[in-house]
Amino acid sequence: MVDNDTKDVVGQGISRRQFMTGVGGAGVGMILGGLVVKGFILPDEVVAMAASEGYLLIDTKKCAGCASCMMACSLTHHGETNMSLSRIQITQDPWGKFPDDIDIAVCRQCPYPSCVEACPTGAMHVDTETGVRTVDDTKCIGCERCVAACPFTPSRTLWNSVDQHAQKCDLCMNTPFWDQEGGPDGKRACEEVCPMGAIKFTRELPVQSEAGYEIDLRTGTAWDRLGFGGSPQSGGHLG
Amino acid sequence: MASKNGYCGKILKVDLTTGEFETIPTEKYEKWGGGHGIGSAIFFDLCEDKTVAGTDPKNVVTIMTSPLSGTLAPSVSGRCEVQGIGIQAYPTGWYTRSNFGGRFSTQLKFAGWDGIVLTGKSPKKVWLNIVNGDVKLEDATDLWGLNTRETQEEIWASVEPSKKDNDWVSLGVARDAGRTTQHPAVLTTGPNAELFGPMAALMHDAGNGAGQGGFGGVFASKNLKAVSVIGTGGVDIADPNALMEARLWSNDYSFAGHHDDPVEYVGLTSFACTPGKPLASVQEWSEGTQSRPQGCVGCVRNCRGRSDNGVGNESQCVDFFWYDVHDIKANGHVTAATPRAADAVQLAGVNAFAVEAAVLWIEQLYNAGIMGKGKEIHSDLPFDKFGSAEWAEAFIGCIVNQTDIGAELCKGISQAAKAWGRLEMDTASGILPLQEYGLPHHYDARTEVEWGYGSLIGERDINEHDFNWHVYWTPTINGLEGKETAVSAKRLSEIFAKKTVPYNDPMMVDYSDEGIYSEAMAKTVAWHRHYTRFFKQSIGFCDWAWADMVNPYGPDSEGMTPEGEIRFINAVTGKGMTFEEGMEIGRRIWNLDRAIWILQGRHRDVEKFAEYIYTTGAQPGTTTYEAPYTMPVFENNEWSYKSVAGRILDRDKCEEWKTRFFELEGWDPASGWPTRATLEELDLANVAEELEKAGKLGGSV
Repeated sequence: MVDNDTKDVVGQGISRRQFMTGVGGAGVGMILGGLVVKGFILPDEVVAMAASEGYLLIDTKKCAGCASCMMACSLTHHGETNMSLSRIQITQDPWGKFPDDIDIAVCRQCPYPSCVEACPTGAMHVDTETGVRTVDDTKCIGCERCVAACPFTPSRTLWNSVDQHAQKCDLCMNTPFWDQEGGPDGKRACEEVCPMGAIKFTRELPVQSEAGYEIDLRTGTAWDRLGFGGSPQSGGHLG
Repeated sequence: MASKNGYCGKILKVDLTTGEFETIPTEKYEKWGGGHGIGSAIFFDLCEDKTVAGTDPKNVVTIMTSPLSGTLAPSVSGRCEVQGIGIQAYPTGWYTRSNFGGRFSTQLKFAGWDGIVLTGKSPKKVWLNIVNGDVKLEDATDLWGLNTRETQEEIWASVEPSKKDNDWVSLGVARDAGRTTQHPAVLTTGPNAELFGPMAALMHDAGNGAGQGGFGGVFASKNLKAVSVIGTGGVDIADPNALMEARLWSNDYSFAGHHDDPVEYVGLTSFACTPGKPLASVQEWSEGTQSRPQGCVGCVRNCRGRSDNGVGNESQCVDFFWYDVHDIKANGHVTAATPRAADAVQLAGVNAFAVEAAVLWIEQLYNAGIMGKGKEIHSDLPFDKFGSAEWAEAFIGCIVNQTDIGAELCKGISQAAKAWGRLEMDTASGILPLQEYGLPHHYDARTEVEWGYGSLIGERDINEHDFNWHVYWTPTINGLEGKETAVSAKRLSEIFAKKTVPYNDPMMVDYSDEGIYSEAMAKTVAWHRHYTRFFKQSIGFCDWAWADMVNPYGPDSEGMTPEGEIRFINAVTGKGMTFEEGMEIGRRIWNLDRAIWILQGRHRDVEKFAEYIYTTGAQPGTTTYEAPYTMPVFENNEWSYKSVAGRILDRDKCEEWKTRFFELEGWDPASGWPTRATLEELDLANVAEELEKAGKLGGSV
């Protein structure tokens, strides 16, 4: 569903096909980096969506895999801690080699959201006030086209098997079990609880590559002196 | 979501002899809190003969979560308790417990179970497969000889055959079956663990081990290779907003709230410890190795790591330290040998604490010309490469394969020493550092007595650092660096007096030559036993983060204890519990455990340290921590920090201290057995009956 009140005209020379590819990979996302836009009309007259007013950045190299973000997500949205209902997913290989041992799946609030386009009822929509891509579960008929349409693995749109509807990251706009205002102007539960400071909110559309957003929340911070970068560790029996 | 206020409501009972499953309502045991408390209560009810060996099919093993498992409670959520009759302690394998982290307890809760009870012995080799409410015993013939990683990866492939990469997988065909991106959480033994049982741990993922007690061997004795669990449910929280608020409040006390400017603190802390900070490092890779911090579910301390070569992943502390000292001695610095040694114990499922003590002893024997090629104790191990990865891997291999000196060590360290005719001699001199009940010396009973007393009156090395960070490490590190501690000895005594409800005695941290035998030290040990029995072992507060006593981020350097624990418990359970009530449940659990040990033969007369504790001051190279050992003392009416290194314990004064302790606990000082009055006060009349039937009820205090 398009928010017609906020669309602008940008993107000369970018085809719809290029745009959609860019959502899932390299190229167009880079071109879009830094643009502050509220919506697009592409050259072939396809109307794009209003941009989200915010995005979650995650430095996967800073993540400790504690999954506190997953717990906080389900807790604030559903009143229970439940990884299967979490809109952010951390997957890990205990024997993997850093940094490939952890993958973090969080909705990128795509500039051209396939999930929204795939929805036949308008349940998956762009919020008119914030541009956040989110679900009106009263309109969801459970077809799961949004789940299938997400270009990422695992799908950032997930099936809530308890309440039988699709759901996705709403930047905590609707957290009935948390007394804090969420959304782009409020607080995000995952960001608040992350013990490593690996999650950060931004209003700027991030630069991305094949691997995802190019995020470094470590360099130039206190992280540099914590010993994870190959610097000598102290020996001795501390435990 | 079937769970209610932190509890799933049901415990899975598996009769391995018949292959039948039953459900025990958690409600029946909820008054014990969770974890070890519920585990001990179930053991007491179901283990008909508590005097059997740990390998007897009659042994009952429980694997328990807590109401806070799988929640957002920080550095609590991921812990899991295992208990049953152990096979590590010598000569009696006491009823004991071990604890591991990771995500097993979380997945068990998400599958809808508060715990697992294992009884009997399977007629064939099996593994237990739990997928939400579906439970099966699967054939483990092909898994039996595999190492811990191979076993887990085989089980993953079996449980989730259609899973690709990190994609969602449905645990059923119905649309309400539940989906997950997670791998099953598997708790497994190493290869053929029955052949090195007393040394065998239980392992989960790369580095979560339940090492103490020999539970790997106990599992194998039941023909059980592994338990796998995956769930798609949730944990109901009584007050979700209160839990979020408590979590964000606790951020002020940890790195979580201070990413940009972590405190520079000389010493060690619990909740406030900065992940990876070199001074507090418990991860050891050679220079140039890139890594990340890594933690159990819900943790804020994230004390382990994963490296860019994948070696040493998720290991920490003794997983590295059993060998790093030898690596450094041979090579001048930490090399790849240390993480390879860590992997050797993790993959084999061998108790790192046991091999740490064994290797300190073996080094002494080799240097004395007693062990080696053609020596009194023959060994073909490559001692010319002692300190290398090759030696470490060969050593672990000989235990797992029962070759070379491993043919005796596989039976346990005390047993090997006895076979070689050295048990009495080497535990008298102290070159074989087995401090009590044949268990490896960790912190020194001669200096840090709360650690020693707790282990002696209990059944295992306590491995609880509630006092240790602040009474030993911080003053010792400051002393070594020639600095003054941020918290003076006097202030430390005040902080501990505030935190140690209900005793609240500032003399509880007096480690002077008089203080260690005092009434106040009896209170210290009692507080520690009661606190840890409930808050750590039954609710799951991780030893590396709790109790939060001294905290450099806290107001006036005070940590969150006792407010923090209760705040999280009540947010999840809604019970409105007080800290004092939690301590009382801990006292109840402690008395129940004490009764089980008494049925196994415990009496104050067997509660003696190894001879070296009474006769020899710590000697460099013989134990894990030698000197200095700087601790708070109250002497000449003044508090100060002072090195008490080299101290020995006075045998008679130790006995007098035991009498003080037994009287404080309401136990008969002649035997150390609880009295009927004490047990009935704790609503343990049934326990008093069983002790009386066995002729082991305490007379009077």
